[in-house]
Amino acid sequence: MSMFSFDLHKRKILTVFLLLLFVWSLLGVKWQDGVIHASGVGTASEIFMAMFTPELSANILALAFESSWITLAYATAGMSLALVLGLVFGILASGVLATRKSSRTFLKGSFRGLLGFMRAIHELVWAWLFVASFGLSPYAAIFALAIPYGGILGRIFADMINDVPKEPIQALQAAGASKLQCLFYGYLPSVKNSMISYTMYRYECAIRSSAIMSFVGLGGLGYQIQLSLDDLNYDEVWTFMYFLTIIVVLIDGWSSLLRKRMAK
Amino acid sequence: MKKRKFNFMWFSFYAFLLLIGASWYFVIGVEKASLTELFSNENMEYASKFFKGLLGVGEEEIAFLNQESWSDAFTLSIETLQMSIMAIGFSTIVMFLTVIPAARNVADGSMTLSKKWYRWFVFGLIRISYIFSRAIPELVWAMIVIFIFKPGILPGAIALALHNFGILGKLCAEVIEDTDSRPIRNLASSGANPAQILMYGVFPTVLPKFLTYILYRWEVIMRTTIVVGFVGAGGLGQQFKLSMSFFHYTEITLLLICYLILVFIADYISEKSRYFVK
Repeated sequence: MSMFSFDLHKRKILTVFLLLLFVWSLLGVKWQDGVIHASGVGTASEIFMAMFTPELSANILALAFESSWITLAYATAGMSLALVLGLVFGILASGVLATRKSSRTFLKGSFRGLLGFMRAIHELVWAWLFVASFGLSPYAAIFALAIPYGGILGRIFADMINDVPKEPIQALQAAGASKLQCLFYGYLPSVKNSMISYTMYRYECAIRSSAIMSFVGLGGLGYQIQLSLDDLNYDEVWTFMYFLTIIVVLIDGWSSLLRKRMAK
Repeated sequence: MKKRKFNFMWFSFYAFLLLIGASWYFVIGVEKASLTELFSNENMEYASKFFKGLLGVGEEEIAFLNQESWSDAFTLSIETLQMSIMAIGFSTIVMFLTVIPAARNVADGSMTLSKKWYRWFVFGLIRISYIFSRAIPELVWAMIVIFIFKPGILPGAIALALHNFGILGKLCAEVIEDTDSRPIRNLASSGANPAQILMYGVFPTVLPKFLTYILYRWEVIMRTTIVVGFVGAGGLGQQFKLSMSFFHYTEITLLLICYLILVFIADYISEKSRYFVK
């Protein structure tokens, strides 16, 4: 009973603390100066109404299909690299290949740090750094996607490998399997399905990220949205937004189908 | 059944191989992107100039060695922090208002033992808004929101909230769908009204998981604040963009340091509070 009341107490403190934090954040806005543009409400209703009348003329649709493909292609290429990076670094960061305890700690620490750095910087910032240093090239988008996504995948893969139950691995070791054999016959088969699900989920995120690569001057759906917004063509904006939604929903549907099949 | 599963998995596998192949073909074959050109002498010169600029080699004013710039950057970091908290606050409020009807077991009445014709309609409407809100990236929301609101941290927070409420809503609705419905049905059959069911049945079981997701999203929002700043939504990102346009590279280094510190703090807090909640 005392344990329970302590729990309740703890939770109340946490709730009050979080609410206070939120109120503090609201103080950061200068509310008294007005927060909406003079024509803001009109623009908002215009944008909202355009939602029901997307531009569906043939050339806009053709443009939308083309930019959807660019977005998808960059995301896929970036993701394929990220998968390789994630697998290699993830396995190294899990420390299962290390033979001694000291080398394991070293391997884990250094590679987890590296993965943390890779994913700490947002993909758009990476893209900006690449474009600023190497110039405009599709590789800037692909590498900018591959680095942070590789970091996330690697970290999650490493966690998954570390969470594998010990018994099957011990059985393999007892039968005389080497570290590599343990990896290929013990660790990887037991985490394969979770890895596929997580990669699919990240793939969906990669498509969104690839769409905003336009911001540093690389083509795709985001670029078209930006152009249409600059022309105040809200109808076109919604067409491209619907296309983006459809791709994301398709990938999401595919991954949930895959997950259901794997669960059986 | 076994055979069909096998087929679908292999179909997906080959489809992905095809997609990856086509994407690389498009990048290398159609767009004529070449790796060797990327590392040409000219580019390497630009790159080394850029990185030297970042490190402040040969610059007169080095922002990250200047106390005034540090205090400016500190103010911006606090602003960014406020923006992220506001964003997660907004999306949490909207999520709480919509999440109950968005759970499948509430919509079909199995949770509350009462069926209403309009439940499926509301369910569909909210779920579509979730899908839409999370399909559009924060940056695109920010580009639109900035048309309506004056530049500052508020439009940034709204743009981040617009994207994250869909994700939070989906995750939290799934939590409600996965809860054990027996205690709640018990409450309903002993005459509790919907508000009581919510307060005494649903919330106590789902809140810890909600909090985990909220903290996880906050961590992601922290990382994205810099990006919505690019379009004028305040914080470190806005200054980052400005410094980039004025070629004040040492300022960029300083801002990146502050940004990394914020991200690591968010990472740490969200990891630690997960233990606290457990």
